Amino acid sequence: MEGAVCCWSRRLPGRPVLPSPCTRQVRSYYVDWRMLRDVKRRKLAYEYADERLRINAIRKNTILPKELQEVADKEIADLPRDSCPVRIRNRCVLTSRPRGVKRRWRLSRIVFRHFADHAQMSGVQRAMW
Amino acid sequence: MTVEVSYRTKLKQLKTREIKKEATNVLEGPDSEHTVLQRTTEDIQGGKPLNPELVQAVSAVASSLPLNKKQTESELLAQLRRHEETTDKQKKGGLLKIRNVISEMAVKRQSPAQRGVRISSRISLRVDEDDQRIKPERLSPQSFDYRRSLKVGRRLNIFTKASKETENALKTVSSPTIWDLEFAKEIAAVTAQPPRNGFEEMIQWTKEGILWEFPIDNEAGMEDDAEFHEHIFLEKHLKDFPKQGPIRHFMELVICGLSKNPYLSVKQKIEHIEWFQNYFEEKKELLQEI
Repeated sequence: MEGAVCCWSRRLPGRPVLPSPCTRQVRSYYVDWRMLRDVKRRKLAYEYADERLRINAIRKNTILPKELQEVADKEIADLPRDSCPVRIRNRCVLTSRPRGVKRRWRLSRIVFRHFADHAQMSGVQRAMW
Repeated sequence: MTVEVSYRTKLKQLKTREIKKEATNVLEGPDSEHTVLQRTTEDIQGGKPLNPELVQAVSAVASSLPLNKKQTESELLAQLRRHEETTDKQKKGGLLKIRNVISEMAVKRQSPAQRGVRISSRISLRVDEDDQRIKPERLSPQSFDYRRSLKVGRRLNIFTKASKETENALKTVSSPTIWDLEFAKEIAAVTAQPPRNGFEEMIQWTKEGILWEFPIDNEAGMEDDAEFHEHIFLEKHLKDFPKQGPIRHFMELVICGLSKNPYLSVKQKIEHIEWFQNYFEEKKELLQEI
């Protein structure tokens, strides 16, 4: 929330919108720069996923010679840093909150509660037992 | 009414006269040669194949003339045929046209119901809710001809059909210009009306891909045409690898894992193996040192 305040001074992180015949409201900006960076990381991780898998298969081996595995270590270190999936953070989709995010809905706990109370979450009810 | 009848009888008389003329000409043909020559050009033939008597006449003429007989004969026959065609067309066309036009025309008779409507429309003053006078509704020409419709009846052949060549020429477009694309986009945007109800909304979503197609097909989007044996028996792709050694061992394990993988397509599996092939080829020098 504090980050959002200082973001107002800079321009909002935009995304090129292709002309489409969609008549509904479309969100054309990301919530903040951190979300944008997360998006970039996800894209790169998707691109390099196969290569990383294969090089790791060579590394985590007991059959192949160790020299080969060392070479593979160096290779994987040379790949761009944002291509590793470990750097992805499951942020809230609406508020970009890094913590308190439920995976099933991709929403932070606050937004989830807001929508659930307004009966905008299908099949979600207040617990009472 | 009287005018129609007289015209019809006139036409009939004309036709009978022409038929008589034909018959007389045909009979007189073979008698005299010179008169035949004149009349062959004037004669009107009834049937499509040339009259045998005329043909005889033509041969007689050819024989009488001093020039090449066969040539003259053939030329005369050709001329006859041409003339016959043109006269046929003219005669039939003219007669048919007038006949058809007249046959379609009939005396207009008002039914008492219509008459009543007309009179009532003249008398009454139809006033709208806003106290404005309405004109009696002008019925479309189709509905007014309650006895006949537009498509019933013989063709008059007054208009000629547009030639098909021009149609084809119009259809060929060199390449869709930017303006055409923009126009098409405009049309699509205008015709895409917002959904009137929930069903139409769901249809739109399904078309866009937001909603799945029901009943749910588990293999939607998956176009795997390969058989099961192509997924499992992947040893044939290991031809280029050395047959012994740690690499072979490693690749066999890779293949074992791939054969158990239901999520990859055959192409992806082959790509996987090929990647390893390339990788090991690049590292050949290193491997040989070891």
